[in-house]
Amino acid sequence: MSLWIEQFVERAGMAGAEIERIPSLDEAVVFLKNFFLENRLQTAIISPELKRRDLFRTEFSGFPTGLKEGSLWVEAGLGAADWGIAETGTLVRFDRGDEEKNVWTLPEICLCLLEEARIVPRLEDISAEIAGHLSPTALPSPQVSLITGPSRTSDIESVLTIGVHGPSRLIIVLIAESPGQATRAHVPR
Amino acid sequence: MKKIDTSLKTVLHDFSLSYLAKRQTALRGYDFEALRTELAAVKDSALEKNERLLARFEEQARAHGTIVLRARDSEKANRMILKICRDHGVRTMVKSKSMVSEETGLNGFLAAHGIEAKETDLGEWIIQLASEKPTHMVMPAIHLTRHDVAALFSKTTGQAVPAEIPALVRIARQEIRKEIFAAQAGLTGANALIAENGAVVVVTNEGNGRLVSTIPPVHIVLASLEKILPNVDDVLLLLKILPRNATGQSITSYVSFMAGPGKGPQYVILLDNHRSAILAEPRFREVLRCVKCSACLNVCPVYQLIGGDEFSHVYMGGIGALLTAWIHGLKKAKNLARLCLRCHRCEAYCAAKIGIADLITALAERINAKAGKPLWKRLAFDGVMARPGIQRAAFGAARKARPLIARKDGFSRKLPAWTKKYDRFRSLPAPARKPFSDLFEETDVTQPPKNKKVKSQVTLFAGCLVEHFYPEIGMSAARVLSELGYDVRLAPALCCGFPPANSGFRKASSRAFSKLLAKIETESPILTLCPTCTTMLARKGPEIEDSEKAKELARRVTTFGQFIYDHNFDRLSAMKPPARTALPATYHDSCHHKNVLKASRASRTLLERALGSKLIEMDESDKCCGFAGSFCVENPAISEALLSDKLDAIEKTGAVLVGLDCPGCLLQVRGGCRIRGLGIRVSHTAEILEDAICGKS
Repeated sequence: MSLWIEQFVERAGMAGAEIERIPSLDEAVVFLKNFFLENRLQTAIISPELKRRDLFRTEFSGFPTGLKEGSLWVEAGLGAADWGIAETGTLVRFDRGDEEKNVWTLPEICLCLLEEARIVPRLEDISAEIAGHLSPTALPSPQVSLITGPSRTSDIESVLTIGVHGPSRLIIVLIAESPGQATRAHVPR
Repeated sequence: MKKIDTSLKTVLHDFSLSYLAKRQTALRGYDFEALRTELAAVKDSALEKNERLLARFEEQARAHGTIVLRARDSEKANRMILKICRDHGVRTMVKSKSMVSEETGLNGFLAAHGIEAKETDLGEWIIQLASEKPTHMVMPAIHLTRHDVAALFSKTTGQAVPAEIPALVRIARQEIRKEIFAAQAGLTGANALIAENGAVVVVTNEGNGRLVSTIPPVHIVLASLEKILPNVDDVLLLLKILPRNATGQSITSYVSFMAGPGKGPQYVILLDNHRSAILAEPRFREVLRCVKCSACLNVCPVYQLIGGDEFSHVYMGGIGALLTAWIHGLKKAKNLARLCLRCHRCEAYCAAKIGIADLITALAERINAKAGKPLWKRLAFDGVMARPGIQRAAFGAARKARPLIARKDGFSRKLPAWTKKYDRFRSLPAPARKPFSDLFEETDVTQPPKNKKVKSQVTLFAGCLVEHFYPEIGMSAARVLSELGYDVRLAPALCCGFPPANSGFRKASSRAFSKLLAKIETESPILTLCPTCTTMLARKGPEIEDSEKAKELARRVTTFGQFIYDHNFDRLSAMKPPARTALPATYHDSCHHKNVLKASRASRTLLERALGSKLIEMDESDKCCGFAGSFCVENPAISEALLSDKLDAIEKTGAVLVGLDCPGCLLQVRGGCRIRGLGIRVSHTAEILEDAICGKS
């Protein structure tokens, strides 16, 4: 198990993500609040799904789930991943509709919570979950996003440059403790 | 062809080298061969039941609320998109890299109808601003420097922009995001469509695909029908190979599986555009396995010299020629097909195991039939090579003219001025005084030395270049075999039929091959001195003539070096050490030898044993020297540039001896060394082995 976690940390780092290892969810919230303060973040959007949870609703009450009308930019986005893939350092996110996706693409800095217990060795290990999530059911517009490191391009002179359309920083807040109740609102099984 | 642009050549070559290094790292610990074999099988099976899978996709996508449309051709697809735009009041559309929309000419079509289509992929955006053609399928603006881009951005924004890449990317980020938010529709391509659940899969690094598909109210997906895969597992297999092979990444930054509409409607347009015609042709169907990873371009020696502006219609390189033949017509494909060396180098890298070189040869047959054959090839192939009598007479006449043509060193004098483009970069050989077959009959090398027991009989098939230009190579091979205890017989001195076959002259090739087949004995092993002849006799022969004898010949034939390696390696181990100190030597991989016969390791081992020292590897030893048969006649400028790179690589090793296995490469490299005045010996493996085994120094 810990082998996969170490591999995840290594590979996500190789892809340009920053990893913060935090013992518990409560401490993760403290870390995030400090991060917002230290970086003097004025604007941020929060995943609608996190926002539905009491802890995040109260602690991040000032931040909306989407961009302000007429605005194109936001400094930070905060979301949570459903799975981590050790083989490639990838975050996997199961959504419905487009709203959640903005947290991952619009901000300059993307902060993402992930529980260590949700790290699996390879993408194939969650193939059935991906297939299950995408099948047409009562819930509309299923989306699965695989996110590995920040947005990147090599289109000018083949020089790797970070942050072209999406975030220039991807910070993974890796939570060691698995709380009794899942931190996910939906566990896609 | 235009003159070769040296700065573009440097950019593409550097890119190729860094790509290969990254790819190697990304594939470490993976069995690429097994993965691509599996992917090829998955794609084949999906192509087999293409219509059923598309119907399933339509049904599932509709269940998600997606509107699925079918377009027969470019015109239909463009009109559909125009109608969608008009229905939803779209004035501006943003796009995330869709090769298929380039294929249909969508941007121009929409512009003519008052709708602006803007690219958002950084490279495509730059190209669109500059009104240029893309140079690479994955890296479209690879030919532009940061200074070019800065000048372009300064003009666009009306402000002075520094030529620093992070700053340039920053500006593009701001400008493109404004465009995405202002657009009323977003169009993306698809890397895959999933039949079992109606989802669309888009693979990107920049993140524009996600913005384009979520921010504007209307999302349109334009995908060609071969993108369909049965299920999620198949897509995960694709994801294992595609990014590793395309850019040397273990995965791209973003992979999005999208099903159903977001805040506004989602349309999926399934485009045929002559793909069902490809599907209906079993010989060519594998073309549709292509996953557009561009690996074939990244290793293509010709692409590396001239880039995608010249070597494309919409799709680039060899695979581009094949797609173009159906999508945009044989005429457009003709110029692309003749730029393919048929070196087979791309095939070792293709993510879907497409036999590109042989498919281009098959395409050349079609082009010859429908678009006409070049006169000189008709003369050479139909007129001479298919007729052994005339061929013999032609070479006989050339030999008679030898005193006029030949220099003391065996090369031809400067030929008339019109041939300058062929012999200014390499001296051409003069015809030999006597053909190899005559020389062989006159000398008593046929029998092994008296004190030795005859092992068995072998038949030596020399090939045209050895027969008429390099008989000494044939003699070396005969002496080596005799010394090793073989009774050497000679195969009839006839053309194997490869040159016409390679140019798509099937009839001429078949005539030449059949004449050889009728005369050649197949009781003993048949050894060739040319890997291209081996390829013809072992691989293509049985395709041309479906007979027991052709199959027997195919089983019996092997290259000289491989035969020695397989059957006489012990003898070599016990060989006397070379008389003189080992010379620094290097080895050039001939295309058929390495890429088709996979025999280059055997030759290297033999040569190291024979020379008593390790070979010094040259850079890209497996890159074509530029001979490539009729290619060097049709594309002398490219042939010259390839040879120049080869000679640079040889010089860099400091070697004084170049070993190789193909008389064609020998002609090219030896002739080039002479023009450069390099004083480097260029020798066939047979000649080097003769020095070691027969003690000649």
